[in-house]
Amino acid sequence: MMNETKQILQDSDASTLAPLPPSATTPRRGGLGSISWDVVWERYGIATILVLLWVVAYFNVNYFGNVDNFAEVLRQSSFVGIAAVGMTYVILMGAFDLSVVSTLGLCAWLAVTLASKHQLGLALTLPLLVGIGIGMLNGTMVAYLRIPAFIVTLAMQFLIRGYTFIVAGGDNALYAGKEYTSLGTGFIAGVPTPFIIFIIVAVVGAVVLRNTPFGRYIYAAGSNAQAAQVAGVPVKRTLFWGFVVVGGCTALAAVLLGARLYTAGPGLEPGFELNVIAAVVLGGTRLSGGRGSLIGTFAAAILFTTLSNVLNLLSIDPFVQQVVTGSVLLIALSVEGVRSRLAERLNRG
Amino acid sequence: MNPAILARNFIQVAWRSYRMGFVVLVVGILLAIFAPHFLRADNIINVLTNASVVAIVGLGMTLAIASGNFDLSVGATAAFASVVSLSMVPHYGVFISVLIGLVVGAIVGFCNGIIITELRVPAFIATLGTLTIVRGFSLIYTKGQDITLFGDTGYKVLSGGRLLGIPAPIIMAVALAAVLAAVMKYTPFGRHTLAIGSNAAAARKAGVRVNPVLWGVFAIVGATAALTGMIVSAQVLTANGRLDTGLELQAIAVVVIGGTSLSGGQATLVGTLLGSILITMINNGLNLLNVPASYQLLTVGVLLLLAVALEVSRGLDLRKVLRIGTSA
Repeated sequence: MMNETKQILQDSDASTLAPLPPSATTPRRGGLGSISWDVVWERYGIATILVLLWVVAYFNVNYFGNVDNFAEVLRQSSFVGIAAVGMTYVILMGAFDLSVVSTLGLCAWLAVTLASKHQLGLALTLPLLVGIGIGMLNGTMVAYLRIPAFIVTLAMQFLIRGYTFIVAGGDNALYAGKEYTSLGTGFIAGVPTPFIIFIIVAVVGAVVLRNTPFGRYIYAAGSNAQAAQVAGVPVKRTLFWGFVVVGGCTALAAVLLGARLYTAGPGLEPGFELNVIAAVVLGGTRLSGGRGSLIGTFAAAILFTTLSNVLNLLSIDPFVQQVVTGSVLLIALSVEGVRSRLAERLNRG
Repeated sequence: MNPAILARNFIQVAWRSYRMGFVVLVVGILLAIFAPHFLRADNIINVLTNASVVAIVGLGMTLAIASGNFDLSVGATAAFASVVSLSMVPHYGVFISVLIGLVVGAIVGFCNGIIITELRVPAFIATLGTLTIVRGFSLIYTKGQDITLFGDTGYKVLSGGRLLGIPAPIIMAVALAAVLAAVMKYTPFGRHTLAIGSNAAAARKAGVRVNPVLWGVFAIVGATAALTGMIVSAQVLTANGRLDTGLELQAIAVVVIGGTSLSGGQATLVGTLLGSILITMINNGLNLLNVPASYQLLTVGVLLLLAVALEVSRGLDLRKVLRIGTSA
């Protein structure tokens, strides 16, 4: 809706309409030889800022370079990060999923409850199936019943949270058995386990996006659904599976988060859905769809955690931290708009 | 003409124009039959008062959605305006403090408008950013503490005042709906808002000055959010930085249930009033029937889906729907 109109307002060039994978995106203005700085910035900008922030923090902030601290930053970024990988899939198609916060609560509650009943196998699989099921429901309503994603996933947020309150009876599940919690708190070869899973999910996600028909369909459907439809892309089916991917990723994040916190309930992580969307968008994926990459999402998820870690280490008031985080998001996202205004002014004058 | 056909046409037209009214009426009758004490005057007034509180910010949100945008920052704006307003009461008195609250809300909204139009950040992200920032501001302003009014300051008038026996929130909601409906119908600002909502590029080409209109729309949303926040804090004479968390999604839900389309270009202000009454009424009925509070979350979800299912089942423009389906 508004994305669509904004898009029309901002992009008069046709490159965003071409249903091509990112590797084939035609260079836009500002190209230098075969390099388009737009594309380079879009894909590696946030990763570069993240590395710069690390370097500055390493030399200037006490304890930031401490191995334990750094590992915690990576661990902490994994939960939003894994869900954000899935969210990238739907945002690339111009949709988004507000129900992830409730899916997270339900699946984490389920995982902790099952683990506390010593059914580890079920604790690791059932939540994933539930998450995929929720994704299928969302996908069916958005893609096949053509209800706007905003409303479907908002309604599902209320419904799933309500359902979790009912089955959980309002209580949080608790379990601290090592065999389960090591998934959230443990290390593999010195790297926090959730972060290893985050990397695996991000790499698989990126490969699927870049090298499979499904991935190309996603970019095509997100750039121009009608053109893609005419060109033979199964737009509806692609959108459906996109929602399944978010559901599955969120459930995976939930299983790990439950293991990390030892406890989970229906009120888990309020605002999670907005944090996940913020990470994807800060990573350079357009809310209007068709453009973006998983590298950006991956870096942005870590960037948010790094930022709050640095602010903590500098003992900055948590309330001020909120202001800083919000401002970073706004500044990062105004860059594009401000630049397009300047370009217009130059073209005119 | 065949009376049967006449009757059918009449029913169709009536249903199209007044369907939210019918739904509210039918649900009301069902509750009156099955829920004990639902029809008691004090219960009805209670339902309408609570509905009005959400409805006020919903009315502002209706304008934003009609302009093809939405505002996720209303909960934070409501909290910020309330804490500022409440903290002013001991110094400046109630009237000035409420005005200050409204102005603070309008300023926050205006800033949203500037970020969206001048910096060209999509409304979703812009207001998500200001949500975080403004929430932070209110926590900093209050140092994370409650601000409480002691003694009889008169602030209670916002929530408890009565005119001819009608509680103030109901009067404010109805008056606001009437004013905004008139503005949408009879002023250039209203027509331009709808034009931007149906096609911003076309509106711009037709000479509508899009940006100032959107600043106005968002300032109105901010002011209505502030009013809702101040009424809520007047009920308990306390405000803090965490007030009204999640108000944004409630407000959007009320608007959509009321029949305003998320694709923009059309505003149903009366529908928004009825939508808030419907949700509040059902939750009240569930309370009276001793249904656990957790089931009330389901109400909003089910109503949302029903409202949109109704929308989709009516004659639809396939192209438009496809576009909404992938981009809203």
